[in-house]
Amino acid sequence: MTDASSTSVNPAMVQESAVARFIRSTELDTRVLGMVAAIIAVWCIFDIWGYLRLPAGTDSLGGLFGGAFLTPRNLWTLTVQTSSIAIMATGMVLVIVTRQIDLSVGAMLTLVANVAAVLQVQHLAPALGVGHWSIWIIAVIVALVLGAAVGAFNGYLIAFLGIPSFIVTLGGLIAYARGISFYISEGVTIAPLDKSFKVLGGGVPASWLGPFWSWSLALAACALIILGIVMGRRQRMRFKFPLRPVWAEVFLAGLGSAIVLGATLIVNSYAWPPRLIEQYAVANKIPIPPGIEDKDGAAICMAADKIVRCAEGYVLYTGYAIPVLLALVVGLVMSFISTRTLFGRYVYAIGGNPEAAELAGINTKMMTVKVFTLMGILVAISAIVSSSRLDAATVSLGDLNELYVIAAAVIGGTSLAGGLGTIYGAMLGALMMQSITSGMLLLNLPSPWQAIVVGGVLVTAVYLDQIYRRRAK
Amino acid sequence: MKRTIFAAMAGALMLSASTVVANAGTVAVSWKTFQEERWKTDEAAIKAVVEAAGHSYVSTDAQGSAQKQAADIEGLIAQKPDVIMIVAFDSDAILPSIQKISDAGIKSIAYDVQFEDPNALYITFDNVGVGRLMAKTMLEKGKTEGNFAFIKGDKGDPNATFLFEGITEVLKENMDAGKIKNVCETFTDGWKPDNAQKNMEQCLTANNNKIDAVVSENDGMAGGVVAALEAQGLAGAVPVTGQDGDKAALNRVALGTQLVSVWKDSRVLGKMAAEAAVALIGGTAMDALPGSAKFSGGKKKVEMNSILIPPNPITKDNLGDVIDGGWISKDEACAGVAAGSVPACG
Repeated sequence: MTDASSTSVNPAMVQESAVARFIRSTELDTRVLGMVAAIIAVWCIFDIWGYLRLPAGTDSLGGLFGGAFLTPRNLWTLTVQTSSIAIMATGMVLVIVTRQIDLSVGAMLTLVANVAAVLQVQHLAPALGVGHWSIWIIAVIVALVLGAAVGAFNGYLIAFLGIPSFIVTLGGLIAYARGISFYISEGVTIAPLDKSFKVLGGGVPASWLGPFWSWSLALAACALIILGIVMGRRQRMRFKFPLRPVWAEVFLAGLGSAIVLGATLIVNSYAWPPRLIEQYAVANKIPIPPGIEDKDGAAICMAADKIVRCAEGYVLYTGYAIPVLLALVVGLVMSFISTRTLFGRYVYAIGGNPEAAELAGINTKMMTVKVFTLMGILVAISAIVSSSRLDAATVSLGDLNELYVIAAAVIGGTSLAGGLGTIYGAMLGALMMQSITSGMLLLNLPSPWQAIVVGGVLVTAVYLDQIYRRRAK
Repeated sequence: MKRTIFAAMAGALMLSASTVVANAGTVAVSWKTFQEERWKTDEAAIKAVVEAAGHSYVSTDAQGSAQKQAADIEGLIAQKPDVIMIVAFDSDAILPSIQKISDAGIKSIAYDVQFEDPNALYITFDNVGVGRLMAKTMLEKGKTEGNFAFIKGDKGDPNATFLFEGITEVLKENMDAGKIKNVCETFTDGWKPDNAQKNMEQCLTANNNKIDAVVSENDGMAGGVVAALEAQGLAGAVPVTGQDGDKAALNRVALGTQLVSVWKDSRVLGKMAAEAAVALIGGTAMDALPGSAKFSGGKKKVEMNSILIPPNPITKDNLGDVIDGGWISKDEACAGVAAGSVPACG
């Protein structure tokens, strides 16, 4: 938005290059384009590297360039692995934008996950019977309420008692996980969790949308994108704002739809693991063609001690996983809140200049409480996702998550000085970090290197961001 | 009626006390902290053996402070016990206190935590042995060949490396013969189960699910590994190791999704240490204690008399050990287990 206003007064517009004109017309955020390009580059590098490391004469691993990275399976797993951090990063953006910090998110995640787990395993299951339909609903509601309460408590201490957020949440970091969670769970791993609750983590067949609903959802999303662009154009006409050229509008609608359809195509080409297909087929009495029990058959079906039956010819595809959908929905809702609501405007106003915001009549104290409450709710969603994914709650579950969340927000362009930051940037930041960790794991690189590279990327990303901002001025 | 029985019992007790009073001694223990629940379990085991032998038991709690522990030990020396057992909070800072114990002619036992003083007896579980036991159980009851994944603990923790040394020592023969292929080997930050899950997911992706066995260095990480295997429908088909006797892990052992959890029963440790203390009071020399051997594997390579207790690998076959020992209830261990599949679950 600020880009548009600054370029419209640019007197040198006539001499601008085709690329610049294209970017100005489509109003694409060049920073995001840079991030997306960087992520795609990282993906390609890992895929090519994976192929080059293969011993001569072996087949490709199925990736675009022959590695294991650019395969539907890895991209699917990657997005599931990213979802928990990405969800929290959207809230951290608002926290940092208001010039605060929340160091307690990891500990809060541990606390919420342990309370939800103890509740369902030690209280609800014995009282209602194991696997009762209401267990997961109660657990989710309690988790969200607890997250909101802890977040609001943090916010209250910061806003009304005037304790710096760094200190309040540092205290939370120490107290919530190792203290309160340990007290609640007695330091014991709480597992296994409720069967329906597990669906939220993406590890079981019921947590996959399947191709039909994935395509339906994708088409609905495309329709919404086109509708959004048409409505946006009408709004601009109504208020006599400068319009994008029609070709740019069409291009944006096409690009958005292409991304949605492409992503759907990828998740819909990840087949269920053969063993799960077998289990599903057996459970539902679906006849399976007899498998080939030679070495070729083993390549497809072997994953265990013996080849029982190969589910060749009978394939199921996963589609979107629930945690990824949750993250996408959270991203959309948070983007909407931050850019289209009064609340969002106030957040950026406070971040830009807290004194001026207060003088303008914004109740900055209540805003702080609200921002931290929102953070708490998002932490609760992440707690649900990560504990159900692991099918267990442990006292170390959220350890160091605060640092990954803050790093994701910062890599995504959130300024620690406040006032600047986008939701989608932070989510892309989370994806970037997880891509690097997952990619290095795929290559079986020694793990000290993972730590070195992730740390290096954090610093480099912020440096590049600074350069970009300086040049943009 | 009640009263007469009580009186009779009291009389009998006094009588028995007076018969052993001739050679009654005192065992003192300096605990590093009672904040962690486990030390209470150890204490109960020690106390039971010491009192059954007719000796008395005294103890102090250092509350997680090296300074308080030094003062505690001075106080204990003043009470002139025969043996002082120490769970050192800081294995270096404790050394001057150990010297004072020796100077007072009192015998010292390093309990569970080593400090390097040649006059002390060191009693602990055989930690390198845990790794060996995992690998041994894997070979005996899991897989002897194929693609192995190794999920190691935190790279900052020397135990992760010790364990791995023990593991590779046992698997070496099959690895050299090309039977076992190390396809993934990764450290796990903070020994965190969720990190282990991610590591295992990537390992499965990189090898297109062609993993035959997973050696995980503890139970928590084994939980993450099993979650990753479950998402590929492989839980139960791929043997997974672990250690600690976590309740969730013992349940997985019963369910068949985890092969083994190597269990270090702190009550066995307490019992062995207390028996050693009793023998020392009786005049047995340190190097003549049953199971005693020379140990010099510490940081400074000081040679000490030591008793290294072998841990107990818990598999489906001996799950009864943990249930009978009262470590876990049958309901907890056997939750969700099909009838007849595990002997201990019935």
